[in-house]
Amino acid sequence: MPMLKELAAELVGMFFAERWLAVALVALVAATGSLVDFAGLDRLVGGAILLFGSLILLVASVCHGARARTC
Amino acid sequence: MTWSAAAPAVTAAFLASLVEVVEAFTIVLAVATLRGWRPAAIGTTVALALLAGLVLLLGPLLGQIPIASLQLVIGVLLLLFGMGWLRKASLRAAGIIPLHDEAAIFAAETARLGTQQLRMQRRLQWVAGVTALKAILLEGLEVVFIVIAVGAGRGLLVPASLGALAACVLVLAIGAAVHRPLSRVPENPLKFGVGVMLSSFGVFWTGEGLGIAWPGQDLALLSFAALFLGAGLIASAFARKLGVEFA
Repeated sequence: MPMLKELAAELVGMFFAERWLAVALVALVAATGSLVDFAGLDRLVGGAILLFGSLILLVASVCHGARARTC
Repeated sequence: MTWSAAAPAVTAAFLASLVEVVEAFTIVLAVATLRGWRPAAIGTTVALALLAGLVLLLGPLLGQIPIASLQLVIGVLLLLFGMGWLRKASLRAAGIIPLHDEAAIFAAETARLGTQQLRMQRRLQWVAGVTALKAILLEGLEVVFIVIAVGAGRGLLVPASLGALAACVLVLAIGAAVHRPLSRVPENPLKFGVGVMLSSFGVFWTGEGLGIAWPGQDLALLSFAALFLGAGLIASAFARKLGVEFA
């Protein structure tokens, strides 16, 4: 049982180790999907939002992590 | 299947698996050094059998899922996984969190097993075998996910598996030759590179799952990788600056 728990924790940790980043990424994908599917946004513009949104989230998340560890 | 389509998947699977196999090898070597190769080999074999079972179970199921849904789900998971790696590698490159040290992990694992050796002599073989099994299973799960994630979206499961297998063979061959932890492997630059590749795949497949036809098709992956590399380096520079300011 402890090993199963450890495996489950490892699986969850693989994707959600950094909760703030994970929630923000899922929100970004959901927002992009909604804009493309329901608001009729051009799909390529949606792609650009997804790509550049991910890049911005990466920089923000690293800075957030650095600030949290050094303060 | 063209080489331009398969190469990114094979390379990503190979490099990511290299990192994971080096980590697992360190633990298995610690077990073998303290308790001999028998429990290490048994633990490793059982773990590999469990992982193979998982792949055999998941493989046919993947074929039943519509390709757009599969790409979307795998794309989002790859984004979460890849950007997690890239974030950590950027923080390590900036000196904010310590580098992964295979020699230190080997020493800690050896010390842990040594302490248990004193406490429970009789259960030792079992503990050693379970330690090896756990290491292979935990790191192997990540390898399985990476192979499925970079391979399933385009029917590249076999080439991606071969990439992962090549990484296993390489680490085992070098490990058998040097017979010590592979601490000279530049793990953080490797993780940085793999994070860049997995994040690029993540955006690419999430987009395809949402019906976005990327300009240049597979070649778009190269532009994405360049952008993620740039963003990771910028993030690392910012983090280093923040670290200096607060130090």
